[in-house]
Amino acid sequence: MVERLDEAWIARGVRRAPFDRFLLWAAPWAALLALGAYAIFLCLRDGLFHTNMDNRYVFGLWIFLDLAVIALGAGAFFTGFLLYVLKKTELKAVINSAVVIGLVCYSGAVLILAVDVGQPLRAWFTFYHPNVHSMLTEVTFCITCYLTVLLIEYVPILLKNRRLKWKPSMLVFEYNLHKVMVVFALTGTLLSFFHQGSLGGLFGVLRGRPFAFREGLLIWPSTFFLFVLSAMAVGPSFVALTTWLAEKAARRRLVKDEVYQTLGRISGKLLLAYVFFKCLDTMLWINQTAPERGFPAHRFYEYGGAFGTWILFTEIALLGLIPALLLLKPEWRARRGLLITGAAMACLGVTLNRFVFTIQTLALPTMPFDRLLLYWPSWQEFAAFGFVVAYGMLVYSFSYRYLTLFPQERELAMTEARR
Amino acid sequence: MFPWVYGFEWHAGYLIFLGVFFTVALVVAGTVLAALWRSFRTVRKKQEGRVYWHAAFEELTPEERRCRHAITGELPERCCDQEFDCRGCRMHARLQFQEGGARPAEAEVCGVAVPLDRYYHRGHAWVREADDGTLEVGLDDLGRRLLGEDGRVELPAPGTEVRVNEPAFVLRRNGVEARVLSPVDGTVLGPAENGALIRVRPAEGFRTVHLLRDGEAVAWMRHEVDRLQLALAAASGAATLADGGAVPQDLGRALPRREFDTVCGLAFLDV
Repeated sequence: MVERLDEAWIARGVRRAPFDRFLLWAAPWAALLALGAYAIFLCLRDGLFHTNMDNRYVFGLWIFLDLAVIALGAGAFFTGFLLYVLKKTELKAVINSAVVIGLVCYSGAVLILAVDVGQPLRAWFTFYHPNVHSMLTEVTFCITCYLTVLLIEYVPILLKNRRLKWKPSMLVFEYNLHKVMVVFALTGTLLSFFHQGSLGGLFGVLRGRPFAFREGLLIWPSTFFLFVLSAMAVGPSFVALTTWLAEKAARRRLVKDEVYQTLGRISGKLLLAYVFFKCLDTMLWINQTAPERGFPAHRFYEYGGAFGTWILFTEIALLGLIPALLLLKPEWRARRGLLITGAAMACLGVTLNRFVFTIQTLALPTMPFDRLLLYWPSWQEFAAFGFVVAYGMLVYSFSYRYLTLFPQERELAMTEARR
Repeated sequence: MFPWVYGFEWHAGYLIFLGVFFTVALVVAGTVLAALWRSFRTVRKKQEGRVYWHAAFEELTPEERRCRHAITGELPERCCDQEFDCRGCRMHARLQFQEGGARPAEAEVCGVAVPLDRYYHRGHAWVREADDGTLEVGLDDLGRRLLGEDGRVELPAPGTEVRVNEPAFVLRRNGVEARVLSPVDGTVLGPAENGALIRVRPAEGFRTVHLLRDGEAVAWMRHEVDRLQLALAAASGAATLADGGAVPQDLGRALPRREFDTVCGLAFLDV
């Protein structure tokens, strides 16, 4: 009986695991969520001494996590832009999933920022006392605005739930919201463009950190544009990767092959452009920017170990150029294993890039009396990280179970049956 | 200008940054409010049914949206782009189904009766013209087999306006609910007899060109049985609808609840 408890909420014509098995799947994530909630509670109650961050290491695991998930979550705005503005209609098959991923990523990032700031009840101060010259203010404004846009974009997906759409008013509202989705896609693109850029700009303007400091265009350092481009490049890859993972977990096809091909092709082209500009930027930084600030670039890598030159090579060549080629060449992209490997490598590459800017920047000494600082997060930081991961898994799992994340699923099931 | 922003100054930085931010906020809020207002108007004008079908039709697979002329073989492959309302379809006007030979009174597809004295809607409702000029609306044989003996139909009250392709009545059985689409425009007069469910006074100028009849209805029913078989195979992993080539008399008893639910959704186009 338990296994049928929620059948009335599941869309018609699709197969879902029995309810008891779903609960078993959700239980470990719920446990991780509870542990993370406890760690967050400790941090909010007692303060940030529960973490291993200090005045030197002001950005730790949490900001790295924020930057990484926001880059990966770019699939939401970029897929929306491709579908509603550039009319890549085949992406209709993954837009709902992309929105849920974006929502999970951005809400997770905002949540962890609230803990990191330490006074979430005073979060509104940033709107009342904005420092319009600060990249961080721009990031705060755009992220909160874009999270609102994502919540609005999630509403039609939610209202399409089988039970909810029986209420005529809900169905009508869903329909009318859907009709104006292009407006949200455009505002989402604008907001995402600026906050992805400003997140990069945050590091590029650090004059006291020659490792991160970059020249640029007008008020924007080159990292502004590189962060935007890298996020746009890996967004479709992350959507392809999560769709593939969902297919593996559900043990059925959820989208047609052409969708993977489109995502891979777009991701590959943008990734190649990113690698090109990243190389240019790195060359400029090595030969001009860093020396002008008194630091020959090799000094940043003479500490070896975790922060050696291998990290630069891995980021640009291994997790940049290679996945770009894997995704670009049609014969390679046509093989699902290579396409997913390329997408996963691209996602890892952008994650490594955010790690470099967040952690390596702060680890490197800038004064003659400084030394290399190593930082290892406390269990509370890991647990809060785990909270976001568990929260994401649960939201996505529940959305997949009760909402229509992949509209082609029913059609593909019929096609399989025909065979 | 921005009284709620502490320390606002008339500098380009403040103006550009806050101007862009508030413009975006206003656009987002305005768009949501416009959607709410349109929804309110739609509900007030009682046009939810039209919206329902528009949204439901978009969710149908290409196979489910197959044009009636593709089902009969007149066209090689074509999806309907008129939401199953052929009254405004130019292609349909050019391709009126022509059938030669004598017309039998009734046909049968895998045990499902298809009486040819009536018009069929693609949501498994039928329409028959009564002698007094009113229309009788009922469920076809496949619909009846889904309803079974213990199923219930929630009929519209007399005086209710029904419109083509908008939900007219609700079928309930085994905890499964499905909306049945109206095949006609008109006003409900009350329950009907002779196997029909309701009697309807047709709206002024009502035409039946969107409905199927004769050999076209038989071809469509064959397509439907085939489609339901496939859906069942997809839902359960095995084809279970047909038993010895015939559709069971009571599908609600013959099928597990989940499969029954799937078949109801597909048959009544309530996905």
